[in-house]
Amino acid sequence: MSEDSAAIERRVRRAAKLLFYKRHRQPGVRGWELGRALGGGYPRIIEILNERLEALDLQVRTVNEAAAGEVRVGSGEDLDRARFYVTLRGSLSTTDLIMSGWRVDDVAALIVAVALIVSRGGKAARTDVEAILREKLPGWRIEQNLNRFVRLGYLAQEENGILYVGWRSRAEIDEKLLLRLILGEPMTVRPTQ
Amino acid sequence: MSRGRASNEERERLLRIIGLCVAVENRGIDPFEVQVQEVLGLLRKYLPEWKELDDFILDSETLKQVALIVRLQSDWIKRRSSSVFVDPLLIEVKLKFMDTQRLADVFEKAWHPVVEMETLSRTRVEQAIDYWNLLTTMDQRRIQLPNPTGSLGETSLEELIRRRILSKEAFRETLNTLWEELKRRVGKDRRVPYWDFVQQPTYEETVRRAYLVSFMITYGYVAMQVNPLEEEIFLVPNTVVVEPTFGKQALTIPISIDRNTWEERAQKK
Repeated sequence: MSEDSAAIERRVRRAAKLLFYKRHRQPGVRGWELGRALGGGYPRIIEILNERLEALDLQVRTVNEAAAGEVRVGSGEDLDRARFYVTLRGSLSTTDLIMSGWRVDDVAALIVAVALIVSRGGKAARTDVEAILREKLPGWRIEQNLNRFVRLGYLAQEENGILYVGWRSRAEIDEKLLLRLILGEPMTVRPTQ
Repeated sequence: MSRGRASNEERERLLRIIGLCVAVENRGIDPFEVQVQEVLGLLRKYLPEWKELDDFILDSETLKQVALIVRLQSDWIKRRSSSVFVDPLLIEVKLKFMDTQRLADVFEKAWHPVVEMETLSRTRVEQAIDYWNLLTTMDQRRIQLPNPTGSLGETSLEELIRRRILSKEAFRETLNTLWEELKRRVGKDRRVPYWDFVQQPTYEETVRRAYLVSFMITYGYVAMQVNPLEEEIFLVPNTVVVEPTFGKQALTIPISIDRNTWEERAQKK
């Protein structure tokens, strides 16, 4: 192994440690943190890591927190300010989903809330979200669920009662695919990020 | 005709427009619900007639809200014209008719949970063991804490002396005089109600006396008895000055003396 490739190996391993191990309250690492730890060419190191993670059905996802959607490595967008996460590349089976501790009605409540907010351009009044959930869920459960979603980072709430898509939804939920599936796209399509 | 001040109707109309703009911004309502041209026409009509500062502020606030609406309208058009735009009403209708299982299936397809690990490194464990070994016991740490009562009183007095508001001798003399007065006023139960002793004909004198009493308590001239249920406070003069004990738990009792309370007590007296 040449000296160059050994150095790249070291940087890839360092990148994996940074991305997998939770260092702050919120998982993920900002681009500038990766730059500081891995050096200027960190986008290339992340690409190599991403290729290797594919075999494990994992991926590095780069999320622009200021606006919806993923930032593509090499797209010229401001990577330093984006946040990098490792997420599952594919999707979970229903059994895995239930094993992860989610009740099916909680999942439904989350998806309704996120879809409604995303379809309205990223924000909606909490009362509007509650109104649509109230058609199928009891009031106490709605309150409990929304507070839990805010706590977990799936939703964010301002003091004036406006709900936003939270950092975790941006990292974990493919918003475009979500809306397409709700509109009736066949489920057999494998989601792509 | 120049009236100089906006009529209530005009003001209310602008306030309603501001309310609508805020609702549109906060609730994600269609920003084209606000008729920007009409609002600007109204502002143009009202402005030349107004002279008061409040009216100008209302005018500028309305203009600011309208500017925000114009920005929202621009964003709205951009979003609607993008290829990924989906009508929110359509989504809402679809969501209402989907059953729970179908929603869970959708989530399953669109969800890619973050993978994260939490672990302790060997280095961190070693640091934690070292920290624990060097950590003193709670009892030892408690002894090292400074006595808040002594330092608090001395600092205040030092500050007064430093500022030449009073001399140390004069201050002690004042406390002694007050102490003697308190001793003379005690009844059979060897105590005097706090407010009976502190209350004076003027508010300023009452505050000054309360201030001196607080020093008498801190320096051990006087003890304090508090009856929380009846909300009564008594002053019990010590026969000799009891020096504050180092390390003993101190109790601070805040007593508020505002002008209203003083007036009420003065009237009762």
